[in-house]
Amino acid sequence: MLVIAAGLIAVLATRPQATTEQAASPLLGKQAPPVSGITVDGTHYSLPAQPGKYIVVNFFASWCVPCQTEGPNLVAFQFEHQRSGDASVLSVVIQDTVGDARSYQAKIGANWPTMADSHGKIRLDYGVASPPSTFVIAPDGRVVADYLGPATVADLDSVIQRAKASHP
Amino acid sequence: MSSSSRATRRSLVWVVLGVVLVVALLIGSGVFSSKPLTRAQRVEAIASGIKCPSCEDLSVADSNAQTAITVRTAIAAQVAAGRTDQQIDDFLVARYGSAIVLTPPTSGWSLLVWVLPLVGGVVAIGGLTLFMVRRRRRGFAPDDEAAAAVSDGDMSADMLADRQLFLERSLADAEAEHDAGDLSDADYQALLRRDRGRLETIEARMVALEQAAAAPDVLAGAAVSASVGAGSSTGLVAGAGHDPRTARAGSSADDAPPLDPTSADPTSIPGPASTTRPRRSRRQRFLLGGSVVTLSAAIVLVVVLVAVPRLPGQTETGNVTLSQQQKIAQTLAEAAVDEDAGNLSQAAQLYNQILSDNPNQAQATAQLGWLDYQVGTSGNSTTLKNQGRKLVERAVKLDPQDFAGHLYLGTILLLQDNDATGAVAQYQAFLGATNPVPAASVIKQAAPYIRRAYTQAGVALPSQVPAA
Repeated sequence: MLVIAAGLIAVLATRPQATTEQAASPLLGKQAPPVSGITVDGTHYSLPAQPGKYIVVNFFASWCVPCQTEGPNLVAFQFEHQRSGDASVLSVVIQDTVGDARSYQAKIGANWPTMADSHGKIRLDYGVASPPSTFVIAPDGRVVADYLGPATVADLDSVIQRAKASHP
Repeated sequence: MSSSSRATRRSLVWVVLGVVLVVALLIGSGVFSSKPLTRAQRVEAIASGIKCPSCEDLSVADSNAQTAITVRTAIAAQVAAGRTDQQIDDFLVARYGSAIVLTPPTSGWSLLVWVLPLVGGVVAIGGLTLFMVRRRRRGFAPDDEAAAAVSDGDMSADMLADRQLFLERSLADAEAEHDAGDLSDADYQALLRRDRGRLETIEARMVALEQAAAAPDVLAGAAVSASVGAGSSTGLVAGAGHDPRTARAGSSADDAPPLDPTSADPTSIPGPASTTRPRRSRRQRFLLGGSVVTLSAAIVLVVVLVAVPRLPGQTETGNVTLSQQQKIAQTLAEAAVDEDAGNLSQAAQLYNQILSDNPNQAQATAQLGWLDYQVGTSGNSTTLKNQGRKLVERAVKLDPQDFAGHLYLGTILLLQDNDATGAVAQYQAFLGATNPVPAASVIKQAAPYIRRAYTQAGVALPSQVPAA
């Protein structure tokens, strides 16, 4: 009995903490699900119709604290890549009202397309459980990275640099 | 009615009861139901096997979280579109990963989750059956009892009363079993002879003790050795057909020697050991059952903990068989293959995977840092270069004996800072590293940079480094 108890303690003690687990999306390396529809600003947006660009698809909610940490990073990333034209951001509002989401974006200076996803279709297609979740899609439509939790500028830059180096 | 026909009838009753139970379970499980499920029933059935992505341990059928509602809606749409259950599962697994399905897969290590409870159950039932059979057999083995029997001299009045009660119950059980046809006539008679003899002796012993208590002026030794029955001087172990080897007329109860363990006299009184046997057997039974259940639960728990479904991007390491160090070495090797093949993103992901579980793993830190530095250099990204350099510097601090960090830092100092002296110091540490010792092929690969640093610094080239 003592041996069993000791064995169990050893197994539990040597397991990594749940917070350090990184669950990669099954979409990684596959074609990203298409995103098409009307943005919250009333313009039409279609994900495959962004030739030659890396697209950062970010699922967020205004009330979500990690999303608030991530927001300024996305603004900096968009600012940096608007000049080079090699990447842009698409936001998808989940578990939030469009009004609250737009107010939050206006406050941090987010100026990229944002979709409402009121029926949850985009979230389902991307297998998103909770905000923030971020996917990086290569110009050829493949998902090259995904982040559960707040992504930083360095994270996104690194992914894009590596993807470019792998597939120039 | 004869014993055998009673036994047959009794067996038949058990068989009928078993058949009724199995049929009831089958009917209850819906196996015989020819009525197809409605769409709503199908949606409910599928949803109850799908995990709510944003909840802890809840199915989408049990949760009202927005994500669960979305998944339920998707399941309903798929059912309406005529998809099979498997197609719907596949649809969800392709998006959320295999962890979305609550039922563990029936392949790989997860198969143990299915098999072990069955094995545990079979072992438990088998063990219990074996125990019961052995116990039953022991009940008809006077030799065993006699072998275990010791003197009754140590038995108190309470113990004698317990023993009396036990023997009375034993006789009642034997009678009931005989009436039910479960006990043969011969066995029944043997049992009666044995237990009645014991009972008579116990009762005689109790009378003697009572007499001794009623007459305190009588010496205890005399009371204990007082004859019981028709003027017999047989002592405590005497009875009809007693064995003289066990009789001790005139001796005291307290210093009575044990009975001859070879005695097969069915009327000999079991001493304290056999008197307490029923109690100890019960404890043993609980221990046996408890151990089997605990062991099974522990094994199932361990399997559940270690046999999580492999997520995309995770290496197929087999947590049960590989140590942490082996897993790291395997992942490092896979990353090196990816790096050589130009799959830099995949390689970086593998290094990150190691570091997410082991943030202070020096080799993965050094390799990721060098990868970042190289990509940053080729992509003209200062951010990435600095990030890579910091990681390499960190790797050197984490494990000064690992050669990779010194090699990469030396090269960075030489190429980025043009610091030949600093580079030589790092290359010296690289060449002198012991954990592991750098292979000759690695030294040969790095030789151009090492020669350049040593030449610029005006230091003699070590013999390990091949000349140009």
